Order: sequence, then C-alpha cells, then structure tokens
Amino acid sequence: MALIELEHIVKTYDLGLSKVPALRDIHARIERGEFVAIVGQSGSGKSTLMNIIGCLDVPTAGIYRLSGRDVSTLSDDQLADVRNLEIGFVFQSFQLLPRASALENVELPLVYRGVAKKERRDRAVEALATVGLEDRMKHKPAELSGGQRQRVAIARALVTQPSLLLADEPTGNLDSRTGEEIFHLFLDLHAGGNTIVLVTHEPKLAARCPRAVRLVDGLVIADGPGREVAAANAEALGAEALAQFQAAERAAQAGARP
Amino acid sequence: MSEVALQAPPLEAPAWTVRLRRGWTGRLDDLRLALDSLSSHKLRSGLTLLGIVIGVFTVVAMRALLTISGIAIGIMTVILIFMVQSGMSASFARQLSTLGPNTLFVHKWKWGVSGSDWWKYKNRPHVTMLDLRALQQNTTLPVAIAPLVNTLATVSHAGKDVKGVDVRGTTDGYLDATGWQIRRGRFITALDQEIGANACIIGADIEDAFFKGQEPLGQQVRVGPNMRCDIVGIFARKGNAFGQTQDLRVVLPLSSFIRTFGSKRGLVVAVVAPEGKVRETEGEVTAVMRNARHLAPDQEENFSVNRQDKLLEGFEQMMKATNITGILVGIITAIVAGIGIMNILLVSVKERTREIGIRRAVGARRATILWQFLCEAVMVALVGGAVGIALASGAASIIDLISPLPARVDPRVMLGGVIGSAVLGVGFGLWPALTAAMLQPVEALRYE
Ligand SMILES: Nc1ncnc2c1ncn2[C@@H]1O[C@H](COP(=O)(O)OP(=O)(O)OP(=O)(O)O)[C@@H](O)[C@H]1O
Ligand SMILES: [Mg+2]
Repeated sequence: MALIELEHIVKTYDLGLSKVPALRDIHARIERGEFVAIVGQSGSGKSTLMNIIGCLDVPTAGIYRLSGRDVSTLSDDQLADVRNLEIGFVFQSFQLLPRASALENVELPLVYRGVAKKERRDRAVEALATVGLEDRMKHKPAELSGGQRQRVAIARALVTQPSLLLADEPTGNLDSRTGEEIFHLFLDLHAGGNTIVLVTHEPKLAARCPRAVRLVDGLVIADGPGREVAAANAEALGAEALAQFQAAERAAQAGARP
Repeated sequence: MSEVALQAPPLEAPAWTVRLRRGWTGRLDDLRLALDSLSSHKLRSGLTLLGIVIGVFTVVAMRALLTISGIAIGIMTVILIFMVQSGMSASFARQLSTLGPNTLFVHKWKWGVSGSDWWKYKNRPHVTMLDLRALQQNTTLPVAIAPLVNTLATVSHAGKDVKGVDVRGTTDGYLDATGWQIRRGRFITALDQEIGANACIIGADIEDAFFKGQEPLGQQVRVGPNMRCDIVGIFARKGNAFGQTQDLRVVLPLSSFIRTFGSKRGLVVAVVAPEGKVRETEGEVTAVMRNARHLAPDQEENFSVNRQDKLLEGFEQMMKATNITGILVGIITAIVAGIGIMNILLVSVKERTREIGIRRAVGARRATILWQFLCEAVMVALVGGAVGIALASGAASIIDLISPLPARVDPRVMLGGVIGSAVLGVGFGLWPALTAAMLQPVEALRYE
C-alpha cells in the first residue's frame, strides 16, 4: 500500500465574487521511503497541495488516502491526531513559538501526545542532536540564525518519528550555503529511512532528488527522476534559470566523481 | 502462546494512559503557558508602565490592568455591601430580641418609614426622661414600662477586650417589658437608677469571654472608654436570633449609661399592654404623650407609638433595598469586568493567531486551545478577585480598628468572591476562547 494516494484532488478557493482553482485534478502515489520534490512556478499550487497532504487543509473534491485511510472521513480531532502522530511539517517561515526556547519548541508535539515530561525532554534533546543543535537548546528563536531556526523546526518535525516529513520551501528564507546545509540534512534523513516530500523552486536542489513532480496551474505536468523534471522546469522558467541549473549540474558532477 | 510472548511490546502506550497523560501534562502545560503569557506579556509591561517608562506600555497591558482593577473594585464593593448588610441584620436582631407582640415603643422615629419623610422625623424632639416620667405617672393600663437606650461598645476585663458589645441603659421595668431572665444575682433596682450606681448585668457570652471557671459576681468590667462597674447579675442564655448571638450584652442603669455615653441619643420607651388591650393602651399612651408635649388638638404628633410588625416591615424594605443595591453593583461589575476580560482575550487571540496555528499544526485539538484561553481568562479574573478580596479585608480591618463595630470579611463571602470571579472568567472568556479554537490551521498559520 502506498503511503500517499491522491485521486482527482481538486481545491478551489471561493473568494465570493470569483473562484480560484488552485488544484485542478491531481493524481499521485508516493511510497514509503521516497524522497519527492515538488516544483513549479509561483502560484502553481505547491503549497496548497502540501497543506492537503499535511492534513492542515482539506480538498474541495477528490480522495486523499494516507496509509490507506481516507482522510475525508476523519473528524477534526482525528486530523489533529494525524498531524501529531504521522506528519512532521517544516515551513518556509519556520513557525516557531517566539517565547519558547528551542527545546520547548521541539517538545511541543510531544506535549499534545501526552508524553511525560522526562521522556519528552530526552526525546527533544535527541532530536536537536540529530540536527546538530545540542549546544543551542536554551536559546529563543530570536537568538538563533535562520539556518539554526530551520534546524529547530526540523527537529520539531522529527521528534515524533512521523511516517511522513513535509517541507514547504524549507530553504526559501535562507542564503544558498545555509540552504545547501539544510538540504543535506534532508538527504541524510532520507538515507535514514524517512519519507520526505519537499517543495522547492531551486532546480539544482530538485535535480538531486530521486523523484520530482512538476505542477503547472494546479495540474501535474511531469513526474519522474529529479534531474529530468528539474531540467524541464528550469527551461520553462527561462534561459537564465536554465544556465544556472546547468552550471550547478556540472559542478555537482565534478564534485561527485573526483 | 510462545508467539504472543515473542511479540515486541506495543510502541504506543495503551490508549487510556495516553489520554490521561495528554489530559494532565497538556493541561499543566497550558496553565504554565497561560501564566507565562500573562506575566511576560501584560503584567510585566503593566508594571513597567507604573514604575519606569511611560512610553513602553502596550494597549493590552493597560487593558489588563484596568480589567483587573475593575474586577477588584467590584468584588470589594459587593463584599463590603454584604458586610454592612449582615451588620444591619445583627443590630436588628438585637432590637427584635426585646420585643413581645404586646409591646409598644414610644420613639421619635416612626418605624418602617424610609426616604422622603426622613427630615420630618429627624427634626422631632427626642423622647426624654420627662416623657418617661409622664408615662410612668399618668398611664393606668400598662403592665410594665421601661426606657431603653443602647450603643455598641468595647468591654474589657483583665487586659482582654471584647468588641461590639450591645450596651444598654434601662431601669427596673426592663425584665417585665422584655421577658429577659436573670440566672444569677440580681437586676438593676430603683436605687441603682436613683444614684447612678456603677452596677451591671452581663450576658452569657461576656461571662464566657472573661470568667471561664471563675465567679463573675462581684468582679469588675470596664465598659466603653472609662466606666468601671461591678457585676451584680448574669442573664440566662438567650441563644441566637437571625444567626446573631443575643448574649453579647451588658445592661446598666439608665442614669449610669447617660453619664458614660452622653444624653444625645434619646430614649425608646417600651410599654407593655395587657393581653388583648393593645389598642386601648396605644390610645392612652398617645394621649399622655400629647399632654406631656403640650400639643393642641389640631397639632400633629411629634412622637410615634410603634409596634413590632411595623418594624418588621421597615426592616424587610431596608434589606430588600440593600440586597437590590448589592445585586445591581454585582451585575454591573460583572458586566464591566466581563467585557474587559473578553476584550483583552480577543486581543490576545488576535495577537497569537500564528501561535494557535502552530499549535494546531503540531497536533493540538480544538478543545486544548479552548482550554488554554479559558485558563487565561480565569487567571485574569482570579487575580482581580484576589485583589478585591484583599482590599475588602483591608477596609474591614480599618473599620474594625477605628469603630466599635466588629467588622471582618466572612470566609464564606471570600470563597464566594473567588468562585464568582472564576465563573466570570469562564463566562466571558468562552466566546474569545471559542473563536481561538475554531480557527482553521492554514489560515492561522498564514496570519501576519
Ligand atoms: N487562501 C487563499 N485564498 C484564495 N486564493 C488562494 C489562497 N491560497 C492560495 N490561493 C491561490 O491558489 C493558487 C495556488 O497557491 P499556492 O500558495 O498553492 O501556490 P505556490 O505554488 O505555493 O506558490 P509559491 O511558490 O509562491 O509559494 C494561487 O493562485 C493563489 O493565489
Ligand atoms: Mg508556496
């Protein structure tokens, strides 16, 4: 059974006067252990799709099965539990509680799971160690760099050992070197057996994912190996993006085979 | 069998323990977070405002402070009203304890009248010793006649004080007029009255307070600031009326009372009519009083002859009035404070929309969010309530210090204040807490 099954997913935003079709007819299956990038131009529906996969939002029509369970049949409380138990979500803008320390932020999902304080602390410390932040646990988000904040957010997503890790442009607010570090972290997590779906508009990152899905105007236009889909996407984005992509690719090849 | 034994232990704890722990750790955490946000957010900036920099406060801090002081003042007022009211019913109980159904009271005031006629009665002459003498000499029907005058004072013995003692001045007719009984010793005599003897009869509570296991007769007590008197008798215990003891009292000869406490208060003269002749006696008393006051036939009376039922009526009216005042103040306070709570909570929900989104995204249920904000509302209300109770207790102890009235806030009233403010918090916090709980996760996360 696939982890994620999307059938005829439609999402329309009703703005009263007009209706915005964000997703028109999405079909996709994602297996356990995959690392999938979602690419596409701004406004193509990537975030909308991620929110539906992450059970933060529900589709207007269509069926979404997570581990074989149709989520449209779940109550609001059950959706909250699914978010808590099965999904780790990483946002572009970090979404950390500003008044809580890194450690407390990471503990938060465990609080809602009812884990006892001692165990909560141990697991949060472990998750922070995984992302290399064991020496910043008492810091508030405002006292951390962007990359460090995103690591805290990733630790928070990991701490519940979810079956699915979702990241909506996790490198979008970071400079390219820090973004590269964060992307490496995701590659490591994938190597460790995690299922990851990641939105990015950087072709060179998408190219390094085993699989990529390209959205255009709420439809899946391409679905295949990351390199091919990313190349097509870069082409669509224009000559400049393509040149960048090719340069990155040459550099990666040179680096990969010394 | 062996297959079962070999199975790995379940990864998840059994559902009920999870639920239980989700319950407690979640709740405690919410409580802490609510405290946190209150202290870090509003109170702290509120204190900043008071003390240091006037530029650095937020509207929220102002509102929180105003709301808290609003609740505090309201709760204090309600508590004080209740205190005054119970004081009044105590003094009423003291008066009523002397009344029999056949007793008439000659007094400057008409009992049971309030409001518009106040000045008319206020300007009448007091009932004096002359009136008393006229009644004693010129009436034929009454079974007994006794003057009454009373005040609350402190009584002491051997360095010990008892506050709020009902001290009365009267004459030898008192026992017949009131039905009170002497357990040991004697009552005031005509001679005591004549010479203004320093003699007194004490109630059972006074005996308990000063003379546990001792003989009170022949000992001395100090009444008021400077009168020492010998105990010549002890009243039989009367018990409570209207929840108030009737045994916390000292009776003196009228002449000694006036010497100590002055003659400003005027008398009430109790006249006991024979069974079935209340009307006739009332007529006779009225005629004698008119005569003593030299009133022409067309002149209005400048005294009143009262009966107990009138007093009851008036008392009920008065209680109703204070009750209504108390309830009105309570309701207004509740509404004003409640709107304040609602307001700061709505602002807080708005400010923390993103936080709510984050919590929902990592698995908080609606009920959990609801609970978090309700906790906060109750906290604000309880802080206000606590300050109010503290203020009321402070006011009560000041009253206690500077007046002979015993004043203190009943613990039950305090408990009522605490419960009341908690209910207020829940009642007015519910709507904002619900709006917080009903937020959609995606929209809350997107909120700027
Ligand atoms: N809450 C909303 N109300 C109305 N329209 C919306 C809402 N959210 C998204 N949309 C519209 O739906 C479409 C898809 O939006 P979405 O955010 O999924 O795009 P995206 O691919 O994530 O873009 P970006 O790369 O800029 O993040 C857009 O046309 C957007 O304007
Ligand atoms: Mg997006």
